[in-house]
Amino acid sequence: MATNRSGASQRPNGAPQTKVCQFKLVLLGESAVGKSSLVLRFVKGQFHEYQESTIGAAFLTQTVCLDDTTVKFEIWDTAGQERYHSLAPMYYRGAQAAIVVYDITNQDTFGRAKNWVKELQRQASPSIVIALAGNKSDLAAKRMVEFDEAQAYADENGLLFMETSAKTAMNVNDIFLAIANKLPKSEGAGGGSAAGARRLADGEQPRSSACCK
Amino acid sequence: MRDNNEEKFIFAACTYFAKNHPGETCGSNGLPLTPSSISILGRAQRLLTIQHPNLCTYLDIIRGKHERIIVVTEVFGKSLEEWKSKFSFDEVTNIGLQISKAMLFLHKQDIVHRTLADGNILLDGSGRVKLFNYGMYYMTGGGSDVPFPLGLPRYLSPETILNGGGPAADIWTFGIILLELCIGKLWQNLKPGPILRRILTLVHAANPAERIAREHDCFEAYKLVSDHLRNIIEKCLKIYPSERATFEEVVEELSQANVKTVVDVKKPRGLMGCKLQYLYHWWQLTGGDIQAELKKNGLIKNSPPILSMPIAILLDGCTIGGKRGALFDRRIAKYSLDLLKARLSHIPPQDFYPLMHERRRDYDAVALPKIIRERDTEYQFYRLLWFQRLLIGYPYTAQYIRAEAEIDIPPLVRGDVWAALLGVKGDIEEQYERIDKETPTPTDRQIDVDIPRCHQYCWLLCGSAGHRTLKRLLKAWLLTNPQYVYWQGLDSLTAPFLYLNFCNEARAFACLSAFVPKFLHKFFLKDNSAVIKEYLAKFWQMAAFHEPELATHLHEINFVPELFAIPWFLTMFSHVFPLHKIVHLWDALLVEGPALPLFMGVGILRQLKDTLLDSGFNECILLFSDLPEIDIGECVKESIEMCRSSPKSISYRRFTNEPEVKDPMDIVEIPMEVLLSEISPRISMSDFFSLTCQDKCCVVDIRSNLLYEKSCIEGSVNVPYSGVQLGQRDLRALGLNAHRALRHAVTHKNTIVIASAEDETAQLFSDYLVKCNVPRVCILYGGISALQSHVPSLFIVPIKKTGSK
Repeated sequence: MATNRSGASQRPNGAPQTKVCQFKLVLLGESAVGKSSLVLRFVKGQFHEYQESTIGAAFLTQTVCLDDTTVKFEIWDTAGQERYHSLAPMYYRGAQAAIVVYDITNQDTFGRAKNWVKELQRQASPSIVIALAGNKSDLAAKRMVEFDEAQAYADENGLLFMETSAKTAMNVNDIFLAIANKLPKSEGAGGGSAAGARRLADGEQPRSSACCK
Repeated sequence: MRDNNEEKFIFAACTYFAKNHPGETCGSNGLPLTPSSISILGRAQRLLTIQHPNLCTYLDIIRGKHERIIVVTEVFGKSLEEWKSKFSFDEVTNIGLQISKAMLFLHKQDIVHRTLADGNILLDGSGRVKLFNYGMYYMTGGGSDVPFPLGLPRYLSPETILNGGGPAADIWTFGIILLELCIGKLWQNLKPGPILRRILTLVHAANPAERIAREHDCFEAYKLVSDHLRNIIEKCLKIYPSERATFEEVVEELSQANVKTVVDVKKPRGLMGCKLQYLYHWWQLTGGDIQAELKKNGLIKNSPPILSMPIAILLDGCTIGGKRGALFDRRIAKYSLDLLKARLSHIPPQDFYPLMHERRRDYDAVALPKIIRERDTEYQFYRLLWFQRLLIGYPYTAQYIRAEAEIDIPPLVRGDVWAALLGVKGDIEEQYERIDKETPTPTDRQIDVDIPRCHQYCWLLCGSAGHRTLKRLLKAWLLTNPQYVYWQGLDSLTAPFLYLNFCNEARAFACLSAFVPKFLHKFFLKDNSAVIKEYLAKFWQMAAFHEPELATHLHEINFVPELFAIPWFLTMFSHVFPLHKIVHLWDALLVEGPALPLFMGVGILRQLKDTLLDSGFNECILLFSDLPEIDIGECVKESIEMCRSSPKSISYRRFTNEPEVKDPMDIVEIPMEVLLSEISPRISMSDFFSLTCQDKCCVVDIRSNLLYEKSCIEGSVNVPYSGVQLGQRDLRALGLNAHRALRHAVTHKNTIVIASAEDETAQLFSDYLVKCNVPRVCILYGGISALQSHVPSLFIVPIKKTGSK
């Protein structure tokens, strides 16, 4: 119910031949920056003040409607603690999109976000769409990362960038929509990503062998 | 049972409102401010543990609606306010001595009373004194969490009125009380303002006590007071706090003068001799309702909400007007135990003193679910008395405690029982005290961000007292376990221990320290990948062993435990379930031992079986991301059943704290790569042997016909591997004999052991059986050849080609 409100109105009335695309999206970032809260806001329209920490990863899906396509996001929400880092490749491998989240009230988390971007650029699929989200914008009074600084960094690296607030819902749907818009929807993106999701479960994990290091 | 009026009421409740945070609802970190009532609740937990003959025991602190706090405590006798008769000086000395003993005890615990008054000093007919609700100042953070002032004006010391004062203020109050006992109530007809002014004018008096007496025209009476007593009063009523006596001195002086010793009241027998906490607990189970009684007595009044609405709200959120609970309501509601007495009236007197060698087994309630047993008055009555006896005898009664805990654990003593089950003993306080829990470390940031989201629905854990303690526990554990690091989830793991030992940090720590090596050996290593991989692989094998159909389905959709089960095992489910479920899960865990969690995992899968079988990869992972309601009672029951019915060796793990297996008959260890690729577990030869002896297994020998005919395990069936078509998932394809034997094994819940000459074929064949939905399949470790050399007596030469069964 709370879903789709972002794009439903844009759907051309009763166009039967709407394309359906599935995309695998992964959220990365330091712990307690609000990754799970962003997903929860986007998928269920809820916000929990005391959102529990994520161990390993969580999985959720959400569908948004663009003009002529329905985009289904398969969202992997990962654990933020550095120690769980080695699990991350399992989740971003084969992902078509990533949201790297930092907390605007904490400079260190921005540094960590930059490292994630670097790692994605090096290791993930070359066509991956990366968005940078400066979360907790409702706490602007305690801001430690300037908007311009993050914007400049995003421009340099060709990232989508928005400041978001899972608490007030500001820019949450927008950032997912912006990603959906930027994703290529030409070739049969349909079943491809389901396989992508499946691929990560394969036993033959390449390179980084550790599943949980 | 004696039943005079004084014993009728044994506990009482009073209630007040905590302060609302004006304006801001969020702290600077974006999280909501902790409500004052939560802070009060957190602090008050310590009061619940205080025991002293001259202090009324605190029994419960309840958080009601709208920041209401209800304090339940022991009560007896009458307050000094209610005693109208005049006391002799001997009696005054006696009362004073008992008050000062109680106060000395509190001051030693760093608790300042501040609200000492004639209304909260209780006295009974035999001259015993107890202080009532002495923790108001302490639990409210020095009054900062409540909207009303603390203390009665006439008992306030000058420095308290001027907004200062420490423990010495209590001495002043004590002096005033002694004085009142000698010359009568002070400033009786004055309003608070003038009283405070009178007290402040005392600042200029050389001898405030005398001055007060003169003011009341009681100077003559005051002079009649014994020198000794007057001396003490004057030592207490010094203007400068530093000049006042301490309770230590007061106790000493009063003890010298005390002529009357309090008659030692013999502890009542039967119900009234039971621990007060137990009585309160049972009373609640019988249907006793604190809030209802408060409402009946008008201490809780419901007024229409419109009356409490503010008249105006300023832009900063501060409110003006609207009804507020203005002053502290000093009324109390008293409760009688009649309800409980009636409920337990049929219990014979000897049942109050259970003997350890007469274990009572015939509870009617045992068949009921644990949650219901926990609400049954009579059942809890027997269980608590029984556990109380066992716990007194710990550690010598450890085995009895284990045996009883297997049935269930009364919630009231769960903390003690867990500690006993984990073998916690010795001077844990001392050990904990020595650990440096304060020095900052690089891990602190992670701990700081995790704690405010760890089980925060729990009132105890969400307050600042809970946060601080949890952090100290984690830091202490990390410091004492340098081989380990902080993994997210360790916070959740520590939470249940803190929850049960909120005022006994040392024991919470000792429990955690004993729990990890037993259940999570090496899980918190910096590189724990091998440990977790092995654990998950074993979990998956147990799933195939008990739920072959489900395992096959999940294998086919490539749904691996790495995707969902890491938080299950890394935190022993404490990150997955709420505390009230965790305690039941862990009750079983602590009794059954480290193999149980694997089967609990299977138990959870089993509850979700129908949904999982109908689901593809995405639906499955979604299901686990947002785990549906799990019936923990059922899950525990089934997992224990699975655990006990599984041969011990099939759940063998290399990374445990148990002694190394040396006997070749017991070995089941295989290289990690092999373990990770195998669907069915290996069974040790000794387990196999004992199953054979009990006729509880079905051996499938998959060697060739030729080898089988030379020599085979007695009672085994031969299914030559070369003849099996792995694609055909039908047992009938294996031939009539084999089909019948397997069916028989499945219906009788026997274990199916695959014996072969080489591991590879055994592995493939076991996969095949699992896919055919055959439960309880395992592979004989070492195969036929090892068994032949160790237990040759099991082998026979089959009589005829088709004759063997």
